[in-house]
Amino acid sequence: MADRIEGVKKLFTSKSARVETNKGDTYYEELFEKCQARIEELKTQQPINNRLDLADVLETQGIERRDFLKWASAVTGMLMLPASFTPLVADAALLMNRAPVIWIELSDCAGNTEAFIRSDGPKIDDIILDVISLEFHETLQAAAGHQAEKQLDEAIEYFKDKYILFVEGAIPMGIDGNFGTIGASGETMHDHLLRVSKHAAAVVAVGSCATFGGVPAAAPNPTGAVGVMDLVKGKPLINIPACPANPANMVGVILHYILTGQVPELDSLLRPKFAFGYRIHDNCERRAHFDAGEYVEEWGDEAAKNNFCLYKVGCKGPMTFNNCSIIRYNDGVNWPVGVGHGCIGCSEPDFWDKYAYERPMADAKIKAPTGGVEKTVDEFGLGLLTAAGIGIGIHAVASMVAGKKEDGGEA
Amino acid sequence: MITKIILEQIEGEASLYFDMKENIVDFVTIAFPHFRGMEKMLEGKNALDALVITPRVCGICGHSHLLASVRAIEDAYKNSGFAIAVTKKASKVRELTLILELIQNHLKWIYLVLVPHLKELSGSEELLNTPLKGAYGASLATKILAIFAGQWPHSSYMIPGGITSDFTYVDLTKAKSHLQKLTEYFETETLGVSVEEFLSFESCKDFVSIESDFAKIEQLLIDSGMQKKGHAKDAFLSIGIHEFSHAAKVKGTKLFKVASKYVQTQDAYAPDEKSYAKNALYKNQFYETGPLARCMAKEFKLIKNIHRRFKDSAYTRVMARIYETAHLLVFCKKLLAEIDIGDKSCVESVPLKNISGVGEGVVEAPRGSLIHRVEIKEGIIKSYKIITPTQYNIASSTKENPSPAQQAMINLSQADAKFIFRTFDVCSVCTTH
Repeated sequence: MADRIEGVKKLFTSKSARVETNKGDTYYEELFEKCQARIEELKTQQPINNRLDLADVLETQGIERRDFLKWASAVTGMLMLPASFTPLVADAALLMNRAPVIWIELSDCAGNTEAFIRSDGPKIDDIILDVISLEFHETLQAAAGHQAEKQLDEAIEYFKDKYILFVEGAIPMGIDGNFGTIGASGETMHDHLLRVSKHAAAVVAVGSCATFGGVPAAAPNPTGAVGVMDLVKGKPLINIPACPANPANMVGVILHYILTGQVPELDSLLRPKFAFGYRIHDNCERRAHFDAGEYVEEWGDEAAKNNFCLYKVGCKGPMTFNNCSIIRYNDGVNWPVGVGHGCIGCSEPDFWDKYAYERPMADAKIKAPTGGVEKTVDEFGLGLLTAAGIGIGIHAVASMVAGKKEDGGEA
Repeated sequence: MITKIILEQIEGEASLYFDMKENIVDFVTIAFPHFRGMEKMLEGKNALDALVITPRVCGICGHSHLLASVRAIEDAYKNSGFAIAVTKKASKVRELTLILELIQNHLKWIYLVLVPHLKELSGSEELLNTPLKGAYGASLATKILAIFAGQWPHSSYMIPGGITSDFTYVDLTKAKSHLQKLTEYFETETLGVSVEEFLSFESCKDFVSIESDFAKIEQLLIDSGMQKKGHAKDAFLSIGIHEFSHAAKVKGTKLFKVASKYVQTQDAYAPDEKSYAKNALYKNQFYETGPLARCMAKEFKLIKNIHRRFKDSAYTRVMARIYETAHLLVFCKKLLAEIDIGDKSCVESVPLKNISGVGEGVVEAPRGSLIHRVEIKEGIIKSYKIITPTQYNIASSTKENPSPAQQAMINLSQADAKFIFRTFDVCSVCTTH
């Protein structure tokens, strides 16, 4: 038992799981200079394909400089940079039209595109569509068929080794990849991905399908779907899982790239730590109820009306690394736990088979999100499950006692 | 000679095989080359997992899938002898969020599909391509949705017995304020008149005085002769039971009773390429479903009048989608005013493991009637079947018995045919799931 508790401790304290929010003055000063030099250099370059100028767009949209800087300071915080970086982040946003982005859609539901085009924050959607150089996006662009393929080829050639490739969707490998073909030539999704990623500066897998196979890979995985990281090798690869992936995190990755020319710091599943460094549970608005042992026992009970903790009705927040409890969805309006349905762990591998509805964690066959070395993940998982079991045992007693008190009061 | 054209921007892509005779489309077959196997992966899973998995069939109408799933499971409860009486509040909120999904879909379709392709077809300089306008309107709609559903796309906030959210007056007030903004946006940016005035129109002569995106679109459609092209079956289906629509089978202008049990599927006819699509038929016949079908079933004056003059032309189809958007905005306001937050969000139900039986959920999704059929044994899914709207509209059949989209595309130039194909608001990911 002691070993297992040690295991849990290890999981959450191992180096790759650690989020360092303060790396010291020397580090930030160096980084600042590097970023500044990069921004200056980008400023000398021309916008790609005569893309709109963000400053103009902001002005015509009636967005004041002050609101723009407010947004920039929020993003700086999200990227875990000191406040002194805010002007640099603002500059980087203004230079987004220098970054070529190619977006391809594989086996999926287009949900990330849907989330992306109404991206987060004040008018960031404008920034995204008008200003960022979405050189090639299969759902958004007007051209189709041969014309579209030609545009893609041109974009790849022109921005060779410079573009960021966003991939949405899993890759079906079954029957030689013939569950999904793309374009006029009937290229399989696998070939398409390999061809388009070959000359990318970095590949960003967006959404749980592109990162881990997602729902298409749900048992029995009818099409043999896999994620991008199973196929693309020897490239900087960033995973932004979740279903849908949060637009704020996509913008964050692009901004980070423009700012530093590098991919952000990643965890062992290649997720940017600025977004996936903490669990849902750590910053959950219902956390106090977990700590107090106040749980929703059944949908629609008194506890549900009082917004108690959803752990017992299957919330996977304690096992899920993501920042939705902070940045939320749809312009920050809300998030699943906010409307009383537990987290389904959609940013973790295999959520579709193991994390779905109303299966409390102790009943689910959950692997721990990898904190350390792959081979020990299962052991950590076991340890954690047991620990969670103990946790809920204690809480169950506590809630029983609380229940009794209430009953007594009524009588 | 048969030529293959790939069409994108339909949440995935489709291959159209045109058989051209002297530059006129003689016949066309349609193949959808993608497959995920959603029905297979639901087998053997806990029935509640359907609430998490089926919304992920589609990034743009996931909410409709969620409602269809929850209705199917509740139907299975009923068939197992444990009927669930969902409260008024829960059913109204479910209805509200569904409608908002329809609205965001229509707004995006107008600005991301209709406008650019109409511009391309007509070569118009006047109509401006403004995709952001559509994205902005859609974001207002999904913001309201998220107040009740937590997030959009891919929410799972409906459960057998009701909804999980227990919102407050503050939330409701926020929703009302966002809706006001959304309505004003649609009035100023798209219509050029108030929604009430637009809904009171009785014929297209009433459009004369308006100057707006809508007026430009309407004029360009007429200039392109779309009132004389794109006729499908002149037979419509609206099967889902909702307050905002009327369930009926419509032939011409005559309304008949409709029952979902007559809907069956068959493999699509696609001789030139492996297609993973299925055709949906009602009593072995093809029908059109979607906004035009709903407007015909609801007997809206303006749309009936347009239909009297132009039948089910591409023009009528586009007008119906825009008209429906206005109708839904007004309906949303009514629903928000009727929600009683004192009511229960969710009623308790027996544990799922007591449930064995079949269930069916029928919903009016953005593109038309959506059916989920489930067979549950002791809480575990034995089989699951999803029939989506695009399977009716964009079915691919033989020349002797063409589907609505096939019929609408023949005897036209290829450019016209491609545009008309899009007036059905095609969704690739739904078709094959």
